[in-house]
Amino acid sequence: MAMRSKRAATDRVLGVLLLGLALAYGWAAKGLEAGFISDPLGPKTFPLIIAICLGLSSLYLIARPDPGPSWPGAGFWPRLALVLASLTAYAYLLVPLGFVISTTLEMALLSFLFGTRTWKGLAAGLIFSMVVYWLFTRGLGVPLPLGKILTG
Amino acid sequence: MDTLPLLANGFSVAFQPLNLFLVFIGALVGTLIGVLPGIGPISGVALLVPLTFALRLPPESAIILLAGIYYGAMYGGSTTSILLNIPGETSSVVTTLDGHQLARQGRAGPALAVAAWGSFIAGTLSVLGLMLLGPLLAQWAIRFGPAEYFALMVFGFSTLSALAGKNMAKALVATLFGLMLATVGLDPQSNVARYTFGQLKLYDGMDFLVVAIGLFAVSEVLMLLEEKASGATKAAVGRVYLSLKEFLFSLGAIFRGGILGFLIGVLPGAGASIASFVSYTVEKRFHGPRGRFGQGDLRGVAAPESANNAAAGGAMIPLLTLGLPGSGTTAIMLGALSSLGVNPGPQMFQQHPQVVWGLIASMYVGNAMLLVLNLPLVGLFVRLLSVPRWFLLPAVLAVSFIGVYAVNNSPFDLLLMTLFGLVGYLMRKLDFPLAPVLLGLVLGNLMEINLRRALAISNGDWGVLFSGPIAITLWALAVLSLASPWVLSRFAKRGSLDDAEV
Repeated sequence: MAMRSKRAATDRVLGVLLLGLALAYGWAAKGLEAGFISDPLGPKTFPLIIAICLGLSSLYLIARPDPGPSWPGAGFWPRLALVLASLTAYAYLLVPLGFVISTTLEMALLSFLFGTRTWKGLAAGLIFSMVVYWLFTRGLGVPLPLGKILTG
Repeated sequence: MDTLPLLANGFSVAFQPLNLFLVFIGALVGTLIGVLPGIGPISGVALLVPLTFALRLPPESAIILLAGIYYGAMYGGSTTSILLNIPGETSSVVTTLDGHQLARQGRAGPALAVAAWGSFIAGTLSVLGLMLLGPLLAQWAIRFGPAEYFALMVFGFSTLSALAGKNMAKALVATLFGLMLATVGLDPQSNVARYTFGQLKLYDGMDFLVVAIGLFAVSEVLMLLEEKASGATKAAVGRVYLSLKEFLFSLGAIFRGGILGFLIGVLPGAGASIASFVSYTVEKRFHGPRGRFGQGDLRGVAAPESANNAAAGGAMIPLLTLGLPGSGTTAIMLGALSSLGVNPGPQMFQQHPQVVWGLIASMYVGNAMLLVLNLPLVGLFVRLLSVPRWFLLPAVLAVSFIGVYAVNNSPFDLLLMTLFGLVGYLMRKLDFPLAPVLLGLVLGNLMEINLRRALAISNGDWGVLFSGPIAITLWALAVLSLASPWVLSRFAKRGSLDDAEV
């Protein structure tokens, strides 16, 4: 998205955002008080030091920005958003649907985005997640959710 | 020296059937990780840490497995560099320069063999160095007080920021971001909740595994999503064989690369990528116009490949003796060891000798195993490259989900992982180094505790941080390393260390 003429703009914007983060982080640290005197510094000094260092680094970034990055074409952003949305959905659906079903769906979507046919991705996802589920739960004793829709 | 009986004891640990098996598995899996695109050594080690927990391995076995993976990945990365001009890891980028030229001239076999022998010899050198230097450093570091420890960490973070990326300000931001993440959760000394946004799940803090897998594994997949082309390439290997003449021709480069790589690996913050780049440059300058560097010189493969393996061994020194990891991978190992109840640091040589010496002995064994494993099996590993991306990358993510979920059995961690995946993607695009975030996160609590202890002892007098010769030396070194990029660029306007991190 970055225009050639505004090469350094990305880092400047980023520097401002980071400066804002440093201020917010430091501001929140100021309010941290221990209930009783535990040590001379208390819980807020270390975060305040970090905030000051971050503020200085972001000022440097604003003053001496790098050339902007090469962003991917516009077609990429919906794909990225789709992946992030699906990963978020995965976190919410893992327990209700169970590991095998949700992982199959996630893998199928990703396989599709990496350019294969839907049925191939579904089949590969199903087989892979069943094998992995069996391996981890039986072989290694790592508990993975079976799924509320299966157990009722 | 009373090192020998300890080492003998270490070998008896390493030769236990379970540990021998783990070295083998580690070297094998590590090589696979190194060969496959989309999984770097950091993601690889991070993905396998939950496995070591699940298997309830004793600490020495767990670290032996993780170190084997680390080693194997270093080696595996060279294979694709030579055959396909695709560096599996950043530490193998310079190997492509001469390695792929050799492959195109039909000399892939000698190039692969010299990488294997170089890795073996340099790896053994670095283990020797670790054996001799480690206990000395630990004896010295045992007198460190909180002020010295705080100064040491500041020094570690400054070298890391000076060396980790193209832009020091960005490396600093990455380090500070990691330290910020470390402050999330209940403050261990006052029990005040910090930066938890009222989320009870954040009270225990950010788990390093969740952050590591999100930042490295998920963002790697997102980066690859950008690339449309995914043609699996075929490469001819031929016989992997090195004639005695070729071996002697490269031996000097192997030793120079090994020693240089080891010394660079010992520095906190300077990892295998920098070691391989520096040793290539040094080797090239050493031979001057007589070398055929860039057109297929065996020494151009031998030097960086020896250096990156030696650096992996060297990086164990600050980790084991000071509890200060020098790279993202060793940061994960530190996190894993702490979770298993072993705190790396000077006391470790006394309290857990079986872990330290078992690991050192296993590294000898692992080096030999990699040689035996790699020379005959290279062809097999290369065939793995034809695993299509549409299957490989989703499968990597599926295993990531398990690793993240298994930490706390909590879907909340999957959300955090996704968030850090996006953060990692943006950081990669904007040229921020990722490893400092992990180091900041893993070391942040220790840094704060030492700072507060130092000031509790001095009753709030900040001067305590600069009292004593060790602390002052460390502060001076920290300032020096932060100034070094400027100094270096003044003195030499040639291609600097910047290109090491691609």
